[in-house]
Amino acid sequence: MSLHLHDVTVTLGRGDSRTTALSGLDATFSPGALTALVGPSGSGKSTLLAVAGALLRPDEGRVLLNGTDLAALTDRERARARRERIGYVFQSGNLLTGLTAEEQLLAAASLTGRRPRTLRARIRELLTEVGLEHRLAHRPDQLSGGERQRIALARALLLEPELLLVDEPTAAVDRTRAHDLTALIARATHDRACVTVVATHDPVVTAAADTTVDMQTHPTPTPA
Amino acid sequence: MLLALLELKAARGRFLLMGSVVVLVAALVGIVSGFTTGLGDDTVSALRRLPATHIAFAAGSDSDQFARGLIDDRTASGWSGEDHTEATPLGVSLTRGTTGRGVEVDLAAFGVDPGAFAAPATDTGTPLDGAAPNGVVVSRQLVNEGVRVGDTLTVDRLGITLDVVGTTGRSSYGHVPVAYVTTDTWRRIRFTVPGAKDLPADLPAQYSAMALRLPADTGTVELAAADHRHGTTTVPLEEAFAAAPGYDGERLTMTSIQTFLFLIAPLVVGAFFAVWTVQRTPELALLRAMGASRRRLLGHTLAQAAVVVVTGTAVGAALASAVGLLVGEQVPFSLPASTLATTMAAVALVGLAGSALTLRRVTTVDPMTMLGAAR
Repeated sequence: MSLHLHDVTVTLGRGDSRTTALSGLDATFSPGALTALVGPSGSGKSTLLAVAGALLRPDEGRVLLNGTDLAALTDRERARARRERIGYVFQSGNLLTGLTAEEQLLAAASLTGRRPRTLRARIRELLTEVGLEHRLAHRPDQLSGGERQRIALARALLLEPELLLVDEPTAAVDRTRAHDLTALIARATHDRACVTVVATHDPVVTAAADTTVDMQTHPTPTPA
Repeated sequence: MLLALLELKAARGRFLLMGSVVVLVAALVGIVSGFTTGLGDDTVSALRRLPATHIAFAAGSDSDQFARGLIDDRTASGWSGEDHTEATPLGVSLTRGTTGRGVEVDLAAFGVDPGAFAAPATDTGTPLDGAAPNGVVVSRQLVNEGVRVGDTLTVDRLGITLDVVGTTGRSSYGHVPVAYVTTDTWRRIRFTVPGAKDLPADLPAQYSAMALRLPADTGTVELAAADHRHGTTTVPLEEAFAAAPGYDGERLTMTSIQTFLFLIAPLVVGAFFAVWTVQRTPELALLRAMGASRRRLLGHTLAQAAVVVVTGTAVGAALASAVGLLVGEQVPFSLPASTLATTMAAVALVGLAGSALTLRRVTTVDPMTMLGAAR
């Protein structure tokens, strides 16, 4: 399992506001490795996540996830890839308002057409794995920022994704929680041997990463 | 569907509020529909139950023809002599009476020839009989007001005394219960001068209209020719309802109210779902980012709208029916199951149409907004 970006160029905006977010980017991300994307705001971290996660089609280049060129897929195929092959943890707004922790995962499962009943045990296992077995019936407004991120991580792992994409996971949590959350992401990556890419400004995450890509200077993974 | 139901459960307060509005709109539409039918029945049920296909009025009167127009005996004979046509004279007059037991009633005197197709079948007592010209068959509303078979009924100010010989089902004209009398008696009621000491010896041989049974294949040219021959204007039975006092005005009023309700329903539902969709745009973006297809989000939104609109409409229908049962026969309210079903189906459809106004926004939400790049 691997993720290869070949000569990827992405421009955003229209007319005068059109800017090049990624220009001829080549990068390879290995399975079982947590890669931290670092760099200042506007350096293209989120754009890289969007392209790798089949949210955005590049203007040029190829995005190969285990041999499948995500850039060449139709909208419907890309939605399917996001549903079945890719897990996301966003910086904020990860959870559906009013749904309990368990229902957040059930809702994600229902998108794939799987029968929720068959996944209940798995959902509880995952919530236990992220340390929230006692929070099954809690809604987002009853959870801390760190707990919300851990539920999002459990949801992303539900269908054993080939690619795990995480956007600024520790932006809204304190240092202790940042360490815990980063450790969880790293363990999930190593245990499942999935490709994990984390966009971050946080040295805690960078320190825990197996490789780092500095989007400003050297968009090629280097050992941490 | 699971996701739609989970969201419904999570936002049950908002959906209950919206559902309550749909319930009230549906109930209001149902109640207005009940009054429309009930008032219509109360105005023209005597005409509606006539086993006639057409009504011939005297030519020259365009409104309130039963009161304004008169058909003479020659015209009546002429229509009776038409081939393949059954014709019988009809007299219609609004008056008042008092029974021997002191019950005062308003009544619409319907003059019909005993034994003719326009004569009513009786539920109790005996039908009208030419040999007993003072007989009267009263409708159920008059029975409800206290008129009984065997009573005498004196027409106020005219001094004409009638014998109640039978009763028939619900029948009213211009919101007044009907009493069926012979055409001879009707002519006495119609042409006697109120307060006169003696009844006129020679009553005009005239009637309000002719009730006709025409063959189904009668053409308009044929009908116009017959009208020309007899000096009449003939209209299908349903069009003759407009000749009843106030019928058109009532229909227009009630239909206007219904129309406004049908316009309000989709706007209210549409406005709610528009606000709901705007509020959850970030969540729709999250679902899209997680791989939900546009089709799934569309189905998901429509399912939520269907649950709210259909459940609200069903409860509204039950409420309207309950109002119907509660008011009973105190007011002119009639809501047959078929009318209720049709009306409620229309409410549900316009409600769903309202929610459809928001679908474009649902399908065009951008999953990229979940990432920092687009924030």
